[in-house]
Amino acid sequence: MRKPTERTSPWLAATGCILSVLVALIVQASPTRLVDGLTIMPTWTLMAIFLWSGVRPQFMPPIAVFAIGLTQDLLTGAPMGVWALSYLVAISVFRFRGEDGMPRDLPPVLLRFGATLLLAHGIAFAAGSFALEQMADLQPLIIEIIASILMFPLPAYLVLRRRRSRGSGFIGG
Amino acid sequence: MASRRSTRQDAEQGVRFSRTLFIALLVISGALIAFDRPASRSAPFASFRAGFTDVSAPLLDLVAQPLRGIKNIGPYWRRQGELVEENAQLRQQLIEARYWEDLAYRQRDRIEVYEDALDVESAAIEDRIGAWTVADPRGPFVRARLIGRGSDAGIQDGYPVINLYGLVGRVYETGRRSARVLLLTDLNSRVPVMADRSNARAILVGDNSEFPRLDYVGRAPDIQAGDRIVSSGDDGILPRGLPVGEAVATREGGWRVRLYSDQAPVDFVWVWPYERVTPPDQEIEPVTPTQFPPTAVDAGANQDPDEDADEEAGEEVDRAPASGGDGNATEEAL
Repeated sequence: MRKPTERTSPWLAATGCILSVLVALIVQASPTRLVDGLTIMPTWTLMAIFLWSGVRPQFMPPIAVFAIGLTQDLLTGAPMGVWALSYLVAISVFRFRGEDGMPRDLPPVLLRFGATLLLAHGIAFAAGSFALEQMADLQPLIIEIIASILMFPLPAYLVLRRRRSRGSGFIGG
Repeated sequence: MASRRSTRQDAEQGVRFSRTLFIALLVISGALIAFDRPASRSAPFASFRAGFTDVSAPLLDLVAQPLRGIKNIGPYWRRQGELVEENAQLRQQLIEARYWEDLAYRQRDRIEVYEDALDVESAAIEDRIGAWTVADPRGPFVRARLIGRGSDAGIQDGYPVINLYGLVGRVYETGRRSARVLLLTDLNSRVPVMADRSNARAILVGDNSEFPRLDYVGRAPDIQAGDRIVSSGDDGILPRGLPVGEAVATREGGWRVRLYSDQAPVDFVWVWPYERVTPPDQEIEPVTPTQFPPTAVDAGANQDPDEDADEEAGEEVDRAPASGGDGNATEEAL
């Protein structure tokens, strides 16, 4: 008998994963300044990577995290490798491990994400400053961190609700 | 990559990945950071980035279109009540504008006559290449815009980019169908400018703030708050006289510039085709008749594109001697 976790096709879950990461990358690079007053952009990409690595870790191997980071570098015009390196290290350090993966309660997930966010942005700042040969601008990084911390509970809540109701999995999982 | 293991292992330890691959990816990331520095980016990296933006630009443009629609919703509803009054004002302005239009045409004709007389060519307004912003990364490492036109439309690296109000930046990565514009506020942006009133020179230095700094202004610069700052064209990279912004005094006694281009979101821009003024030491020697036969060194060094075509046709081309006393012959010919 199949486990409840395997009820839905993994292809559907994989499609959901790819789509959500793509949307996150595009939104991250989209011209939000076109909309008056809206200049704050959370790191949607890191949220997507973090949540997928929690609920479906097999969809987020290091090579995928690296590719996503590199794509973000290219889309945003940052020196290549900066976000790739920071995501790779931060996710590998704070990735949920063990039998059950991501817990089903929100607070530990929020805490873990906060730590991931800080580490990722710290590495990005150091690597970016090295590439630019001068100190990178700290203000946008801080704004990104704050915006991400404020925005993350919503997608995390939706994912956890879905996870609780279906036993496991994510969109289509 | 997930390692192969039993279901039991899976349940106890979760998913595990290859450590070798992870380390390899770390090394690759580090190498990319070391070799893809904006200050010294090699041609293969630049062309790879340009190719990638070419591929991603249409997708980003799709996302930008609804955003442009959203942008217009707020102003549209806010202005509904003022439309009648605004309409009357616009009619009045239109009448006045007709006078200025006639004047502008007359001035243009006069300028054309002067330019013909002086043998001067300036970039015509019609030559400007219009482009929409398709991406707007505002990260800590770069202040740039991705625009949806590239070398296919005639855009090249270094061309200045302006919007309705003033200079936005200049093109620094060109793909076939997209280009990246380095904004004046970026850390790597350096633009020679001057005060329109006094011609006091300075360098506009981007520091990721909304108001770029004026550096190298001298000890007693003839700059006043509110002075109109324009490009000076001193480096030959940008044309002279492009409106940049307004001088603002800082508390520390320095100067910054409130950019004109910030008066509206940078959405639609024009790229201004501008040929950089070649420094004398990089100029190609003029082709003049000479009584000396061309040497092998001359054949490689003093060549211009027209000569290439002639050589291909198998014609013998006379070249000016490279230097020394032979330069007199060139001067005489000129």
